[in-house]
Amino acid sequence: MTALAAPARALPARARNRYLAGLLTGRGLTGLALVGTVALAGLLAPLLTGQDPDAQGPLALAGPSAAHPFGTDDLGRDLFSRVLHGITTDLALILSAVPVGALAGCSLALLAAGHRWADTAVQRVFDLVLAFPGLILALAVTAVLGPGRWPVFIVIALAEIPLFGRQLRSGILVQREREYALAARVGGASQRRVLLRHVLPNAVDPLIVQAAVALSVGVFIEGAMSFLGLGVRPPEPTLGSILSQSVGYLATRPTFAAAPLAATTALVLGFTLIAEALNRGIRR
Amino acid sequence: MTSFPTAPALSRRTLLRGGLAGAGLLSLAACRSAADTAAGQATGDAAGPRRGGVLTVGTGVDFTPALLFAQSANTLVQRLVFNTLTRYDDKLQPQPELATSWQVAADGASVTLKLREDVTFHSGRRFTADDVVFAVKNLQNPARSAQLRSTATAVTDFRKNGDFELTLVLAHPVSNLFDLFEFMIVPDSETVEEAFAGTKLIGTGPYTFTERKPGSSITFARNEKYWNPGRPYLDGVEIRVVPQAESLLSSLKTGQTHLSYSIRGKDIATLRSDPQFRITPYDTGSGAYYIGANLTAEHVSDKRVRQAIAWAVDRERLVEQALGGYGTVSATPWPKSSPAYSAEAAGHYRHDPERARQLLKDAGLTGISLPFAHSNDPGNTAVAQILQYDLKQVGIETVLQPTDSPTMQKQLIAQSMPALWTLSHGFAQLHPATLAVSAYPFNEAKNSSRFSSPAYTDIVQRAWQRPDSDSPEAKALYGRITDVLLDEQFVIDLAIAGLTEVAVGKARGATLNKFGYLNLDDAYLTA
Repeated sequence: MTALAAPARALPARARNRYLAGLLTGRGLTGLALVGTVALAGLLAPLLTGQDPDAQGPLALAGPSAAHPFGTDDLGRDLFSRVLHGITTDLALILSAVPVGALAGCSLALLAAGHRWADTAVQRVFDLVLAFPGLILALAVTAVLGPGRWPVFIVIALAEIPLFGRQLRSGILVQREREYALAARVGGASQRRVLLRHVLPNAVDPLIVQAAVALSVGVFIEGAMSFLGLGVRPPEPTLGSILSQSVGYLATRPTFAAAPLAATTALVLGFTLIAEALNRGIRR
Repeated sequence: MTSFPTAPALSRRTLLRGGLAGAGLLSLAACRSAADTAAGQATGDAAGPRRGGVLTVGTGVDFTPALLFAQSANTLVQRLVFNTLTRYDDKLQPQPELATSWQVAADGASVTLKLREDVTFHSGRRFTADDVVFAVKNLQNPARSAQLRSTATAVTDFRKNGDFELTLVLAHPVSNLFDLFEFMIVPDSETVEEAFAGTKLIGTGPYTFTERKPGSSITFARNEKYWNPGRPYLDGVEIRVVPQAESLLSSLKTGQTHLSYSIRGKDIATLRSDPQFRITPYDTGSGAYYIGANLTAEHVSDKRVRQAIAWAVDRERLVEQALGGYGTVSATPWPKSSPAYSAEAAGHYRHDPERARQLLKDAGLTGISLPFAHSNDPGNTAVAQILQYDLKQVGIETVLQPTDSPTMQKQLIAQSMPALWTLSHGFAQLHPATLAVSAYPFNEAKNSSRFSSPAYTDIVQRAWQRPDSDSPEAKALYGRITDVLLDEQFVIDLAIAGLTEVAVGKARGATLNKFGYLNLDDAYLTA
């Protein structure tokens, strides 16, 4: 039994090294730098700017200046402050919704691994969620709940459930046919013990990559929903809502859109690069 | 031997470059073509009206068939398919349409109409006095949600004198009779339910209904048997629904639409210097921005809270930032052209947060929170955010409730609005009594705020039940209506901003009636 358990215990340390090796590549470091810079700016928003992001004033659509580094929006609000607080809102949403979606997806995948009928039922549930394009799902949820934080949270989490679920399921299907799993079963381990103690730790690698991809998808979903007026309620700033506001002024005030666009791009690109770096790391 | 130079073999990369260059040139040519067209449009129409062409009108809100007989956010369809009995000129004087002449009795208790004899419905059926009787009875039907139902209901009897002369007998004189005739479209009695459902629109108007794609477009073709000789000039009309304000603006800029009345004020401001566009403000339609208060809701049932809200709003900033400067600050509903207008009353409430705080203190309220509904389009969202901020400065927190326009309209009719909402209202550009007996927010009998007062009812009824509308006595009554509105503040008026027409140079001759019905009888497209 000791010999059988050893690979499972040794894996996390090896995996950590592989993740680290992946992240310490040019691609990984660039991704970390992009996400880190934007996230840090968001987290330090109260220190970086003393301006209330919702405070309006007569100076609307002003260009960048010392008082307003990114200028002001159409209601005279400081864009620097709004973008920084918008980053905080975005990160808070995706960092809470993605784990919930991941947990739900993985739980369903584990449930499916136990019984054939459960597998069929769970797969159909995944099919059902996947059948809705993201925006249709957003419209449906918003139609019931109205715009706000919760609909964004729910849509991100729902969109991630089948992605994590399918990823884990395919990993389990591969791993449970491997010799060590077979040996564990022959050694008398119960099906649940084999699944949780031996198979699951070895099937988890792709989920780490999936998590990074999911975070970038989360940024995209929030942006799209707020852009369409289905997201967080005004006046709370989000990157998507600021972008949506700025569209009408692209021709006359292009600086309005520059900062939220740069922050959104940096987050999506950063998470994508991290995902790519992790993927390459675990494939070594 | 002479050697001939051979053409070098074309590499895939060269082909790709060539293709891209070609596409670029084509794009440039397209831009040039659009620019030429615009330049041509700006040169005018020296040759006079031209027959032919399809005019495309962009709108932000789809046509709602169930509101065909009410004034709603989209009233473009009414006057294309249907006619009214009379139409106002710029001085609010009625002009003939289906009625060629009229005689109001000296006591104001009846009106005799002579009707056109050469009018047929699109179905081929002849228009007669019976159709006018039907049209009035149709508006009397509560299911039609017609704002001028009270005026229609004042008609108690119909006396026909042949097929083309009719006397409407009134229960009492009404000062806004011709507002009713401007408002009331004459539908085909045989297909009115289909019209109400949006499946078939049969009228006597200049265009026949051809197709409706809900949420997308509605199209019309020329009525070849229109009673107005030589009209209309256009072969057809397409009303295209473009809900996103930015896309609507782009559709005008790229020539996909010729005309729109739904461009936001602050977008219009960006077009002022562009010679491609002609901008025409109208003192009509849904013109006045306001905050409505549901008097059955907590806190706002107290008049002092409503007055505090009126003092809290920075109307100048609202007009400048949300309406792009296209509006006039006003604490009353009346535009300057109205006989009820008073500069002193319009400036009654100004931005005074300290006074607002004092009123709230007097009411014993601090730190209240209220739901605040607004239309979810970007323009109205900006208005709502400005109001939310101003109210927050005096200690009134609001929770914004973005709502789609048709839902808001239904809530307005059903008196199911939350504590506060913001919208725009029309009807103030007509005879003043019409606002107080017809507009959902102001209707003395049943209004969206659930406000009721014997004094208000008495003044409104006296202003309404009189044969004249601009005598000194009538104006004195309008002044008293204004006093009640300013005191009670169940409707907190903020700014007057009529519809603004934005048209490309080649689209000419479109007009709106006082209810925002699009009239394209004389419209044409220049070459």
